[in-house]
Amino acid sequence: MPQPDEPSRRAFLRGALLAGAGLIGSGSVLEAGRLLARTGDPDPEVPNEEVARILREISGGKPIRRGHLSLDMPVAAEDGRIVPVIIESDLPMTPERYVKAVHLIVDHNPDAHLAAFHLTSAVGSVSISTRIKMKRTTWVRAIAETSDGEVWAAYTRVQVMLNGCG
Amino acid sequence: MGPGIGDARIRVPDRVARGELIVVNAIISHPMDTGFFRDADGQPIPAYFIKDVVVTYGDQEVARFTWTSGISRDPIVSFTLRADREVPLTMTWTDNKGGVFTQAADIKFASA
Repeated sequence: MPQPDEPSRRAFLRGALLAGAGLIGSGSVLEAGRLLARTGDPDPEVPNEEVARILREISGGKPIRRGHLSLDMPVAAEDGRIVPVIIESDLPMTPERYVKAVHLIVDHNPDAHLAAFHLTSAVGSVSISTRIKMKRTTWVRAIAETSDGEVWAAYTRVQVMLNGCG
Repeated sequence: MGPGIGDARIRVPDRVARGELIVVNAIISHPMDTGFFRDADGQPIPAYFIKDVVVTYGDQEVARFTWTSGISRDPIVSFTLRADREVPLTMTWTDNKGGVFTQAADIKFASA
């Protein structure tokens, strides 16, 4: 009988899945498996005072918790000039309680606080997509502020092959 | 001639049900220069980018985006809208040199 919980087999299958989906560039299958396995790891380290300041300004000192938000980006971006981003959330969008802003932060970009999307309940859901520039391999953070003062986050690490920021 | 700076398109479904959650897709032609690159003659290319996008549904501001030159050239953005009124959806993009570009799309309900 196959052993579905055997770790190396699982890692191989994950890697094969990613490679099949075209989600990895020149990275090896093992590398892709390792990156995907980061889910559930501790929050990414704050790399410098600039990012620390941005996070303080957004959160107003409230805890930034992981959850209720997804940040989908390629594991490896061949061209840092055009990197797709999809941000979605299951948080309510009603006049009583809604996501009032979603911030996009790219840790090692020249201008780390790349964009803010200020929303109202009239948009009905948090489902935003765009394309961004990335300078080099780094963590990307999506941070959502709700109208009642909660702060939710999602993190993704993106490998960048070609500097898109100059 | 290709599109000029500030040419924009907004795409929404042709006919929607009253109250439907629709997807809005928008694109605007803009160089989104970071200010960090040089041209072929070695001259720095100054920063030139969309910094603000306002989304209005009828007379109600429903979203506002604050951008930097980190958004890719010819910015695209998509988001949802609760289509509960037959009024235009208007987007206004403003760049850091004072350029203001406006485009609108009509929200029309399917007849029953």
